[in-house]
Amino acid sequence: MKKHLKQLAMVTAVASMALGGASAVSAEEVLRFATWNSSENLGILQEISKRFEADNPGVKVQVESYGDGYDKKLIAAFGAGNPPDVMYMWNYPKYHSSLMPLDELMARDAEEMDLEDIPAGLINITRVEGKAYGIPAGFTTHVVYYNKDMFAAAGVAEPVAGWTWADLRAKAAKFRDKASKTYGFAVEAKPDPYDYEQFFWSNGTRFIAEDGSTVDGYMNSPEAVEVLTMFAEMAKNEEATVLGIGDNTSGSALFKGSKLAMFQSAMWSKGGIDKAGINYGVAMLPAFGDKPVHSSIGASAMSIAKATKNPELAWKFVKFFASPEAVKLRENDLPIRTSVAEEMELTSDPIFQPFFEMLALSDRESNAFLKHKNWGKIQTNLERAIEATMIEKGNAKKHLDSAVARSKRHLK
Amino acid sequence: MTTLVVQDEVAEERHRFIEKLTPYLFISPWILGFLFFTLGPLIFSFIMSFYDWPVVGERTFVGLQNYQVMLTEDPLFWDSLWITVKFGLFFVPFNVILGLLLAVLLNQKVIGTGFFRTIFYLPSVISGVALVTIWAWIYSHEYGILNFLLGLAGIEGPNWLGDPNWSLLAIVIASLWGLGGTMLILLTGLQSIPKELYEAAKISGVPAWARLVYITIPMLSPMLLFTVITSIISAFQQLTIALLLTGGGPLESTYFFAMYIYDNAFKYFEMGFAAANSWVMFLIILALSMMVLKSSSAWVYYEGEMKKTEANDD
Amino acid sequence: MTRALTYSALLFLSAMFIIPFYWTFITAVKNIGELYQFPPVFWPNEVMWENFVTAWFKQPFDVYLKNSVIVVVLSTIGQLFSCSLVAFGFARFQFKGRDAIFVLLLSTMMIPWDVKMIPLYMEFNMLGWINTLKPLIVPAYFADAFFVFLLRQYIMTVPIEIDEAARMDGANSWQIYWRIHLPLMMPALVLVGTFHFMNAWNDYLGPLIYLNDQSKYTLTLGLSMFKGLHETDITSIAAITVVLCIPPLILFFFAQRYIMDGSIGSSVKG
Repeated sequence: MKKHLKQLAMVTAVASMALGGASAVSAEEVLRFATWNSSENLGILQEISKRFEADNPGVKVQVESYGDGYDKKLIAAFGAGNPPDVMYMWNYPKYHSSLMPLDELMARDAEEMDLEDIPAGLINITRVEGKAYGIPAGFTTHVVYYNKDMFAAAGVAEPVAGWTWADLRAKAAKFRDKASKTYGFAVEAKPDPYDYEQFFWSNGTRFIAEDGSTVDGYMNSPEAVEVLTMFAEMAKNEEATVLGIGDNTSGSALFKGSKLAMFQSAMWSKGGIDKAGINYGVAMLPAFGDKPVHSSIGASAMSIAKATKNPELAWKFVKFFASPEAVKLRENDLPIRTSVAEEMELTSDPIFQPFFEMLALSDRESNAFLKHKNWGKIQTNLERAIEATMIEKGNAKKHLDSAVARSKRHLK
Repeated sequence: MTTLVVQDEVAEERHRFIEKLTPYLFISPWILGFLFFTLGPLIFSFIMSFYDWPVVGERTFVGLQNYQVMLTEDPLFWDSLWITVKFGLFFVPFNVILGLLLAVLLNQKVIGTGFFRTIFYLPSVISGVALVTIWAWIYSHEYGILNFLLGLAGIEGPNWLGDPNWSLLAIVIASLWGLGGTMLILLTGLQSIPKELYEAAKISGVPAWARLVYITIPMLSPMLLFTVITSIISAFQQLTIALLLTGGGPLESTYFFAMYIYDNAFKYFEMGFAAANSWVMFLIILALSMMVLKSSSAWVYYEGEMKKTEANDD
Repeated sequence: MTRALTYSALLFLSAMFIIPFYWTFITAVKNIGELYQFPPVFWPNEVMWENFVTAWFKQPFDVYLKNSVIVVVLSTIGQLFSCSLVAFGFARFQFKGRDAIFVLLLSTMMIPWDVKMIPLYMEFNMLGWINTLKPLIVPAYFADAFFVFLLRQYIMTVPIEIDEAARMDGANSWQIYWRIHLPLMMPALVLVGTFHFMNAWNDYLGPLIYLNDQSKYTLTLGLSMFKGLHETDITSIAAITVVLCIPPLILFFFAQRYIMDGSIGSSVKG
């Protein structure tokens, strides 16, 4: 029997040796770069990395893509002390203590990088306690996509700059058709929190106090109640379908299937809509009456792990990523450089223009998740209130009050 | 190893030593694996549960605070636990009973059973992510095939995943799609039942239902025990389907305990708290499994059990 | 009469089980316009077979396939070997601490992976196994509790008299395991092999956590990369899912026949 156990051990040893070959050390310097991008976007990142390798002989950029498993992967890697050198980042409050502050490097290379060309708002998103932890890679603001063919067929006038939610609702009502299951607009019941935050801002309130001390009087303010009540009414009157209650059908899927005349989204939906061959237009977000409209800025930025063995090389790569050459390649994101946007004539392109106009209006507020370390848990309560309001198609005040009460525990 | 001939006491002793060692050698792969890959993480997570342990940043010892917050302050702990229990009460019996019925049905040597077995196993072959996408299409309120088909029959289907009254049931049904695994285990178990028993019973005129109750079920009981215990475990660890299909909603009606742990770890980065959750879950499953295991001496029949007292009963 | 009833019940049930697979298949071959139509398109106007090819070449799936095969084959061998040994040990011996150790073994199935993940990652990192296939293979040589439990239950349905008879004839424990029980538990081993194959083949979390470089990725990891944070490539997901189903299905079809024909059991007993 011992002999057989020995054999077993041998098999194991041989197997592990066979696999060990895979981890052979090469002479190259390897820079690990992790991203959540997939498919076509990933191809672009690989192209940028290749160009960087060409400029820097002896360097290999290992592009690691994890799709929507990105957060899990990062948690395991950081938790065990083996993070990638350079990575896409958005959740600065959670990760900043393990990231490299970049202010000094930015100051040193400001001229070479032409930092003036990058809107300050995009860098400010990466700031925690005053320090910047990322260089923007791409950004998006939020807009309304609308189906031009459906508008023409229904004889509805297309949205114009400066439109309001009342305008949108009047238009949306005209598209509802029970038989073909068509709607004018879609309301998210399980939203990306940014979506509602920008509506709160646009109606003159916030999720949380500027100093992060309380949500009472903000999250449940009359303006907040008004926002939720309006969406609930839209659902009730069938001006909009409700997304996310028991249905994974996304707004973009409905829009691509011409079941939806308008839907609110960001840059990331554009590629898919282009591919589906929809004849569409883009409008700015509507305003609440005469209050100034405001959009969330969704930005991806490149950060460097504090633990990296090669900070200079990592920084060089990040700089290259923000260079005009690389920015131009990243056509699925809005360019972070004003000069590139202008050169590519995006600022005057009817499809792209609204994104930039929204950006110009949107540097007044910062996101709630930057203001309190327990925001994640508070947000869960808010999400619950939104969902409950959409299910009951009303009672916004009650649900928001309850969200505030449930959040007290986390604000201590 | 040839049979030792007892020549002297030393050899005798050595023989006895080897005899004693043999069982441990047989189970040694698992023991080693436990020491290498399980014990460390287990101790680590136990220590973690007494800390405020964010994924990155400072770790501070907080004593029993994680346990105290979970049991006395966080309403989600009890809510999610209750939802999981409700789910288990549906899932475990259905999984075992339907699995058994299918196995018995497909154990017959008639044409096409191979085909049917493969069909019933089909969903188990599809990876979880894709399966959930399919369920989303099936259950979709307005655009789903289920309500489309119900509509053809003149029934207005509910909002399966959007109505807190239906959502848990919808998750139970989707989970039962994995029945093929249970079926297969029981089908394998059926193969070890001597055919002679059935033939003898048939000749004596025992009806089919009685053969099922008096032969199949007792002879299959070791495998049934296995499926009951593993069903309980999988009910408590239920995560993927609910996470991807409903995200715990609507209104937390499908917020399982495993999702509570998952959120605390991966959404809120509170590894210490999640570790404390996990230990509680571990103890609950362990207690339930022990109860089932303890009860098994009353209903599980082992043909090959080594009971000294019964050795002569034959 | 009963037979007709049985068959119609079976047919009805299998229709319900086959729907998801059918739906995946037609989703894979639809063109993008039909994807979002309602009422749903039950058979596409034009079957886009090329979707399979397109999806396969969007990523280096041949590399992923190679990695998946290495992982699945090597870990299945390990699992079969180690689990049958351990299960035999628990089923056929009386030894000190057996029941306590067995409970310990059962309990390892109950630990949620969430909290094991980081410490295990640290361990593999110290061993230098991160970004290799080892974390996905080596643990399989140390017996998975689920399969040990399954095989132990199976062995315990085999009458003890067989062992006793063999022992009378002078066989030692190893010989009883190797010559008698291994053939006897063949159906259960095929079952374990099938289950483990499926688990390893469809494993997503393990590869996600332990592999970094695309050249090390497995098929499921490639599949998941069609699902980005905001947009999902539904056609490619469906196409690759269908392709991924084929090997396990073929394997399963033969395995179940083997399990059913494995009448070795009764012949030895008789």
